[in-house]
Order: sequence, then C-alpha cells, then structure tokens
Amino acid sequence: MAENAVQRETVLSLRETIARIENRRLAGVVKTVKAADPAGFRSRKEGSQSSGRKVLPLGIPELDAILEGGLPLEGMTEIRNFETRDAGAAAGFATALGALCQQARQQKGDDRAPVLWISQSLASTEAGLPYGLGLKAYGLDIRSLILSLPRTVKDALWIAETALSVSAFCAVILEIRGNPASLALSESRRLHVRARAGRIPLLLLRQSGHEEASSAFFRLHIEPAPARERPLPDGSMLCGSIGHPVFHVIAEKSRSPAPVGLFLEWNPHDRRFYPVEPLPAAAAANPEPAHSVARLSASSGRPGGAEPLGHLLAFPRAS
Amino acid sequence: MRLVALDGLAEKSGFQLGQGVAEARAMCPEVDVLPADRAADRALLDGLADWCSRYTPLVALDGDSGLYLDITGCAHLLGGEKSLLDDLLARLFHLGIEARAAISSSAGLSWAVARFGSQGVIAPDEAARVLAPLPMAALRLTSDMIETLGRVGLKQVGDIIEAPRAPLARRFGATLLLRLDQAMGLEDEPLSPRLPVASLSAERRLSEPVQGEDDILVLTQELAARLKPELEKRGQGGRLFELLLFRVDGRVFRIAAGTSSPLIEPGRIAGLFRERLQAVHDDLDAGFGFEILRLSVPKSEKYEVMQEDFSGTPDRQRPLAAFADRVMARLGAESLFLPVLSESHVPERAAVFQPLADVGMLKTAEEGACSVPASLLAASVRPQRLFQSPEPVEAVAEVPEGPPRSFRWRRSLHRIARAEGPERIAPEWWLDGETAAERDYFRVEDERGRRFWLFREGHYGGPTQPRWFMHGVFA
Repeated sequence: MAENAVQRETVLSLRETIARIENRRLAGVVKTVKAADPAGFRSRKEGSQSSGRKVLPLGIPELDAILEGGLPLEGMTEIRNFETRDAGAAAGFATALGALCQQARQQKGDDRAPVLWISQSLASTEAGLPYGLGLKAYGLDIRSLILSLPRTVKDALWIAETALSVSAFCAVILEIRGNPASLALSESRRLHVRARAGRIPLLLLRQSGHEEASSAFFRLHIEPAPARERPLPDGSMLCGSIGHPVFHVIAEKSRSPAPVGLFLEWNPHDRRFYPVEPLPAAAAANPEPAHSVARLSASSGRPGGAEPLGHLLAFPRAS
Repeated sequence: MRLVALDGLAEKSGFQLGQGVAEARAMCPEVDVLPADRAADRALLDGLADWCSRYTPLVALDGDSGLYLDITGCAHLLGGEKSLLDDLLARLFHLGIEARAAISSSAGLSWAVARFGSQGVIAPDEAARVLAPLPMAALRLTSDMIETLGRVGLKQVGDIIEAPRAPLARRFGATLLLRLDQAMGLEDEPLSPRLPVASLSAERRLSEPVQGEDDILVLTQELAARLKPELEKRGQGGRLFELLLFRVDGRVFRIAAGTSSPLIEPGRIAGLFRERLQAVHDDLDAGFGFEILRLSVPKSEKYEVMQEDFSGTPDRQRPLAAFADRVMARLGAESLFLPVLSESHVPERAAVFQPLADVGMLKTAEEGACSVPASLLAASVRPQRLFQSPEPVEAVAEVPEGPPRSFRWRRSLHRIARAEGPERIAPEWWLDGETAAERDYFRVEDERGRRFWLFREGHYGGPTQPRWFMHGVFA
C-alpha cells in the first residue's frame, strides 16, 4: 500500500513537471490530490485553484476563456496577420494590449514603466513607422514609449532579450516580418522563458507570417473588420462614418479554440475592448452563392484543402 | 615627378630633395623609387602618436614628419628623462622605425637638436651653447629667409644670438627673433595636443600580454574600480569612457563607450565594454596581445548619490539606464528612440523620433508633450502607422474633389466601402516653399475592413494633375 502511494506521488510529480513545461494549468484531479492533505480534508480554499500565472483580464468572457483568464503578464503571446496590408490591424491590436498593460501598471501606482516597441527595420519600412500622434489618440501613453529600430532580426532578438532581463518595462512588443530562420522554435522558447523569468509580457507581432510552431502561450490571428459607424448624441448612428477600430480575432493556438473568431471593438477613450456583432458587410466581402455546390470533389490526403482547425498538431517549419 | 623623401643611404649618395626622378635615375640607375602616399604617411604618424600616448597624454603633431611630446610631470614615471628617451628610441627601433629625439625645456630647441644636433637631454642652461653651432634651418625659418640670412653671412644660429636685436628685427622681420626666442626658451610656445586630455584615467601595464576578451574585461573592471574613489571624491560620474589597448606591436586601439546617465559602478562599466567588444569584434585584432590597458573618462557629469530604500521596489531609472547603455554600446547611439510631438500641421513633422541620449529625457518628454496645444492633438483622426515617405497609388474618384472609389496600392486593388474627409492640410510655406501643393486627406475603409489614410496632392483643374498617395494605416 505504501509502495502504491509512493508510485502515485512520483506519477503526480511527473505530471506536474509536464504541465509546467507545457505552460498548462494542472489538471483538476492532480490539483485536487495535491491540495488534499492526508487526513482527507481540503487544505486550501477553492479560490486557489487557479494557476500561479499572472493575467490581465480583458473584460470579455469569450476572449478571456480563450486566453485562460486574460492576457498573460509573464510570457510570450504571438499576434500575427496574414498580409502586409493587414498589418495596421495586428499592430493596432498589439498597441491596444500594450495600452492595457500600461493602464494596469498605472492603476497600481507605477506609472513610469515604459513600453518598448522593437520593430525590425524591414517590418517598419513595409508597414509604416509607429506614429506618435496616432498612438496617443489610440490610448497609448507615448510619454513612456521607447521605440527601437534594429537593422537585423538578430539585433531585434538581442534587444528583446536584454529588455526582458531588466525589470524596467511594462510590456515589450517585438515586431518581426515573416518567418525568419533566426526566430524558430528554439529562439521563441528562449524568449518565452526569458519573459517568464523577467515577469514581463512579450507580444510577438509577426507581420505577414505563416503559422509556425512556437513557444508562445497563445497565437492570435488578427484580421481587419469593418468598423461601426460613429454614434450621434441622440443614440442614432452617423451614416457613412468610420468609428472605432474593429478586429476579427481568431485564436490559432489555444486550449479552448474558437474557430469562428471574435469581433472586438477597441475604444480608445475607455481603453477597453467591447464585443460587437459582425457587420453584414463583412460577410458580403466574401460573396458566396445562395446554394453553393462543391464544383470539385474535396481533395483528401493532399495539400490544398483547408484543414479543420485543431486537427494539426505540429506545423512544418515555415522559417 | 620629384623626390619628396630620402632614406639614409640615398642622402649619403648625394640625392637632393626636390630633384627630378629622371635626374636621380641618371645619377644612379639602380635607385629604387616608390610613389609617395601622403595618406599612409599620415596614418603612420597618427598611429605613432597614439603609441606615444603611453608616455604622456599630451601628444601634438608637427607637420607630417614629427611629434611633440609634452612630458611635463611624466618623466619620473619612467625613471627620469634620460631613461624615458632611451626607452622610446629603443622601442621605436624595435618597431623598425628610425627616429631622432631630444628632450629640452622648449619645443623649438628640441626640434632643432633632434634634427640638426646630437640627440639627447639638454639642460635648461645649455640652450645657447647647444644652439650656437647649428645651421639657421634649425630655427624653423622659411627657406627664403635662410637664403637671405646666408647672403649676409649669417649661417649659424650663434651668429645672431649675440647680435644686436633691433637691426635684425628691422631687416629680417619679427619672425626671426620670435623663432630664436622660442628656441632659447624665452618665448612661450603652446602645443596643441591631438586629443583632449581626459580628466581621469587609470592604467595597467602588463608583463605578459593578454589576448582574451575575458581578460580584457576583468582588467577593465579592475581599472574602473581604481577610478571609482576618485570619481566619488569629485562627485562625478562618467558619461563617456575610453579604453585604450596598446598592442605589443605598437598598434593602439581606442574603444569608446557612452552612457545614458553618469556612471561610477565598475561592474556596469565593464558590462558596457563587454557589449562594445562584441560590437567591434572583427576590427579588434588581438594579434600577440595587449601590453597596456588604459581606461580614461573624457566626459563626466555630476553624479547624484542615491540611497537605496528599504521598500524593496527597485528604482525605475537605474535598470532602464543600464538597458539603454547596453543597447547603445552594442548597436550605436541611434538605436533607441523616443516619440516627440511638435507644433506642426504636416503629419510627418508633427511627431518625430528623437534618439534617446539620456534616460532623464523620459521625464522631460512629459513636459515637452504638454507644450503642444491640445487643439492640435484633439484635431482629427491620425493613423497608428505612418509611412516615412508617402507611397503613390492609382486612385479613381467618383467626383473630382471627392473621396476615391477604388485605388491600387502595391499592385492590389482595394474597393472603398466608406470614406471620411477631406481634411485639408496646407503646406508650411516657410519650409516647403510657396509652390508646395495642398493635401486633402481621406480616411477610407475598404470592403474587407482595412482602414487607410490617403491624400490627394493638388486639385483637379489645377496646373498639374493631382496625384494620390498612401500615407498611413489605421488599426
């Protein structure tokens, strides 16, 4: 019997190690067993069930569910967009998260921790430099924003790693274009571990990149979406106007994926996201006939067809 | 083609400076003539001047063939003037350089003795005796004047030392007596050193040369630790540090590292040089090793001593300064930027990036941002990303002055669903000139929901066709 208990303890500790490596919360059963004391009583309260990860809740239940509580404040989150012309949306989403991190720090009374934005020069020439006035209007406090424009990906990674090792920043945004070979799985693992050790959120903004296995907690695919119209004081909408930015957020790497994606509106004045319903215009952009018939039989076992989400476990190396 | 320099053998063979090469070849067919390379000569002299800074920090260039070393207060470090001179000449001999040198109390006398007399150390009271037998050229006079003096029989310096001064000045001008007085040490002659002298420096001479980067860093930290008490005593912190590495074969490397705030901690100073050595890795060839390391502080500033508090929260500025120093030491001063707003309506001038030179700027940027009128900031929408130079697009507008219906940017067509605008921004004529065209900005959204900032330069029906540009991207 005693031997049995020892074995069980070993298995549990191994499970715990694996869970830690996989950035996963301990499964309920492991946790419960760990929390229970030999006498059979629960030693800890129910509230302590949540993992030790520090998160920043974004205030939207669906998004927080995808992110397992909120934006991780210690570790890497990847944000990617598909085409260069969508880079504005992805950068806007990352900026919004940066602004939220700033706000969270300011509420704690620590208002001087800057945001570091590292933009490899190729990325910033292709998609434009961050623009101070626009970022200010967007809700980011540009008085504590430091921008770095390194020439090569290697320099960018070095700056990011240096920044993560000093506890001076409230968020680090690393903007990389495409899938460079110098930022593969092992390098992303290194950055992720650094970010966790330094307790700094690292937002990897991958501009026009393919999905690739990485060590980030989550990977979000951002697509632009049509904005609402501007509200008028009497409650109606100003026809033909362009209101606050709306994003189409698709969680690509998450334990609870939402394949359809969420439509979120960023309100710079309130500095928070609001869920919105997709406009019919967004659907009209991808026109499909009313009675669509597959013209060709779906290919199987070959590349070409869209794979169902969650089917693929490891991606081929894109970099 | 003329001869500009001769070696010892050539001088003995009777060649003259300024002689034609053809004539020299006629005199001696096997003469070896090399084309002159003034830049290389200059580089060699600069290198030698760097090398001489092992004796004194005050090294001045003398034309393109000599060096002045001001060894005031330095001679005793090497066991006196005589042994300094012997050491210098012996080392230069081993480097393969033929050199002549003299030590005296005035620059002019040293010049004269090194070039025309016997070398060595000359006592202050011997100036007249040593100068007297030297030719007039030893006084650094122009060749015209030497010729004029020679015509009246004044061939040696001794001829004019004792002569009455007034007639000499009347006949040959004030320069002659000035040069004579300078050589005699009666007139002061300032030397202008090549490099400013650092306020503080520490040096380590090694009997066994070091090659490894780690050894250099350990020694640097040791030197920085030696500088620390002196810096503390002065209440100063270094803003610029310079590490001089003297290689055994005479080459000298200077590595400078700037900081973003006054610095005295040896560990961080060594850390700066770790990044610098990484950055200059390929240029720093250790060869057979470095024999002298010197760390100097060319630029320092007031250092405010801060007491650590008990709260346990680390001071915000210090890790930030450490980060900025490391990044700038490795990637150059222009690697970190702060956004700065300025009073301008032209979008690309309203927000610019300024290199982060000082971590204190993070605080002052606050006041800078507030000086911009709120009306400008509250104005209309601005994109989150701006292209450095607007990119031309092909746009089709429904009505001449209206928003575009569709546009082609980077070879892909965007159909516009909604547009806001125009917002007219007039050029700043005091900067752009009066002919600059006005811009009408439109915020547009295409059918997929991408939001762009387009502008039209010029008007339809104007002197030139209006052109459309893409200037920014919205979130």
